[in-house]
Amino acid sequence: MGEDKVLLRVENLKMWHAMRRGLFGGVVYVRAVDGVTFSLAPGEAVSVVGESGSGKTTLGKTILRLHEPTDGKLIFKGRDITHTPEKELMWFKRETGLVQQDPYGAMPSFMTIYRILEEPLIIHKVGTKEERSEMIFKALEEVRLTPVEDFAFKYPHMLSGGQLQRVAIARALILKPSLVVADEPVSMLDASVRVEILTLMRELQEKRGISFIYITHDLSTTRYFSEWIFIMYAGHIVERARTKALLQNPLHPYTRALLAAIPDPDPENRKRFREVPPGEPPSLVNPPPGCRFAPRCPYATERCRREEPPEFEVEPDHFVKCWLYVGAR
Amino acid sequence: MSSRVEYGWRATLRELFTYKSAILGIAILAFLVALSVYAVVTIPYDQAVKLWRGSENVWINNPRNALPEWWEWFAGKKLPRTLVLDSRVTGFGVSKAVTPVVGTDMKLVTINYIIDYNYDDFPSEVNIFFSARYQKNPPLVKLVVQKPGGEEIEFPRFSLRAPNDSLYYSISKDVLSTLVSYYASKHGGVNVSDRLTSIELTFGRASREGLESGALEVEKGMYRVRIDAVCFGEDSDLDARIVVYGKVHGPAGTDNLRRPLEIALLWGAPVALAFGLTASLLTTVLQMVIATIGAWYGGVIDDIIQRLTEVYMILPFLPFLIMISAFYKIDIWVILAVVIVLSIFGGGIKSTRALVLSIKEYPYIEAAKVYGASNARIIFLYIIPKILPPLVPGLISAVPGFVFLEAALSFLGLGDPFLPTWGKVLNDAFNAGALYRGYFYWVLEPAALLMLTAFAFAFLGFALDRVVNPRLREM
Repeated sequence: MGEDKVLLRVENLKMWHAMRRGLFGGVVYVRAVDGVTFSLAPGEAVSVVGESGSGKTTLGKTILRLHEPTDGKLIFKGRDITHTPEKELMWFKRETGLVQQDPYGAMPSFMTIYRILEEPLIIHKVGTKEERSEMIFKALEEVRLTPVEDFAFKYPHMLSGGQLQRVAIARALILKPSLVVADEPVSMLDASVRVEILTLMRELQEKRGISFIYITHDLSTTRYFSEWIFIMYAGHIVERARTKALLQNPLHPYTRALLAAIPDPDPENRKRFREVPPGEPPSLVNPPPGCRFAPRCPYATERCRREEPPEFEVEPDHFVKCWLYVGAR
Repeated sequence: MSSRVEYGWRATLRELFTYKSAILGIAILAFLVALSVYAVVTIPYDQAVKLWRGSENVWINNPRNALPEWWEWFAGKKLPRTLVLDSRVTGFGVSKAVTPVVGTDMKLVTINYIIDYNYDDFPSEVNIFFSARYQKNPPLVKLVVQKPGGEEIEFPRFSLRAPNDSLYYSISKDVLSTLVSYYASKHGGVNVSDRLTSIELTFGRASREGLESGALEVEKGMYRVRIDAVCFGEDSDLDARIVVYGKVHGPAGTDNLRRPLEIALLWGAPVALAFGLTASLLTTVLQMVIATIGAWYGGVIDDIIQRLTEVYMILPFLPFLIMISAFYKIDIWVILAVVIVLSIFGGGIKSTRALVLSIKEYPYIEAAKVYGASNARIIFLYIIPKILPPLVPGLISAVPGFVFLEAALSFLGLGDPFLPTWGKVLNDAFNAGALYRGYFYWVLEPAALLMLTAFAFAFLGFALDRVVNPRLREM
């Protein structure tokens, strides 16, 4: 990838949350994100998949600079924003958007939908009052909340979860950002509206050429959505590849386990034994010295427990962080 | 998630009116507001202060410690009103005649008064205020009282000591001895009881038994009073005003300085409402803003605010206030400022902070941060609108506390030195020993108004609390 084609570059990003233990205990760190490296091209959608506590949400928030990274580098459009103070980040805030998991909590209950969508425009001093109104109605139309006049002056509690999530998408897109982070945008919605919301997001993403980071714990939805899949485990990206490659040829033992866990409606499956590695993810306060997955990995060797594996590029654009592939290429 | 069907102020108000307590509270409040407006419009501030602080002369025609007029409904008899008869004011019951004595520069001035006395109780006092004009020798005055039954009592002639001399008929020893000797001679050497006063002897139906036992009944009817005066000099004259003081006066009665209590009771309403509402509003709003800022920024700012609050919370509030008011004779608005300053870091900070700490983590705040809302914008447009509704009932319920505080300070004699307030009336009553001496109305009237105010805000506060916090509603 040429430097000009990179929208976001994340280099060895670390986000450690400080935590005080007990009354006299010292400060310990929860290593939610512990050395993540990747780049994102403009217009590309990436799915970040991982179980609870894998650090995927923290990664999303750190990329949006809701947290200041502990270490590493965040480069957006060629500018280093790792430690830029909040006040000088306004241009970056205009370039980014966020769609959250809980559509009810994501809306200030005392504002109308119109006001909710106008807020980002007011903050960034976009347009006159009339121009803003036009933009808001257009945005509502785009997320198919029609007739827009009906929805614009309602309060959030008058809308359903799916409708609110559409408002959230409209809000994330109203500043015409180049990067949107969607943090489990459909996991709180009814199964019936999930696909609709995902298709809508995908459609808008492709139409406008926005880069998307789609954070989810549900591998099955990613294939509709993204060009890339990153698998996260205990603060690391253990495998990243093009969607097709990853789903067809999973390399990391953890990815394989995840894929094996997807329920498949095939009667033959009831006879097949599902190989799920026992145990739980390690503590992020005091992670094991070697590979984070080693305690649960059926293929773990002595080296895995001792030494952290680097990222190996097994095939073009297919990276895996596992000693099994040492010297594969 | 959202159990409330309706939003907005209009819906809240509509819902509020479904509670009887809210309607009652609003009705009482409307009454108090009407009272305040009436007070401010009819008795301007300067006049109220002047009337209330004016010496006894302003109120010389009022009875002392008179009950309110409505007390009659409970007493079941017609209680005497105050009757004023002035020879300078021509009217029914007063006539004046001046006859020069031929050959001299003397004049005979005769003033006739007719007092129609139809009450079931004795008057409280009788005073005669003279107003004479003379060069060298003051007029010689004789008083003749004719009772409805025809008995005529002549008092010995006396000379005025000053142009504005007055005869305190009810307490004068000369009057009493004249009356006693008149009845003693009329009823053949009866032993007149010591317990009888000049008033009772004048307005009572005299009988031998009554005079001896000291229990006389009121004799109703026309009393005629004649003042015969001899004036000396060309340009001399005499006028006199008789005041027969009643036992009831006005809608609220009078105090020991003859001041009608309604002035202070009326003016107490706007003062109490203004003081209570301002103190409560400013304290709540300032506490809310300070707590929100502390909880939002956290760190050192929050630590400073929390430690300050803890120190403030253990400081004894009232002794502090007493000390400040005692050292500096301050008016009510300075007291208000001191009260607000002393309550800014109150307990409200703690509860608001707890609320903000949870709201701070709401996704919508995070979303606002992503699209670049500034700290001030988040505090004032995102957090405060969210925490404001649950704080309103508290604000309303806190008003009586401040009203009572002002009353307590006034009661302790530390309030505003000029303004008549409910607390001050209570203070006066206490100093005059009102409850020992049976002047119950003097204590009960301001106390009732204070309680009414407290009730109004409490009723409203409870109802608002139920509207705003739906979980409090009973099933």
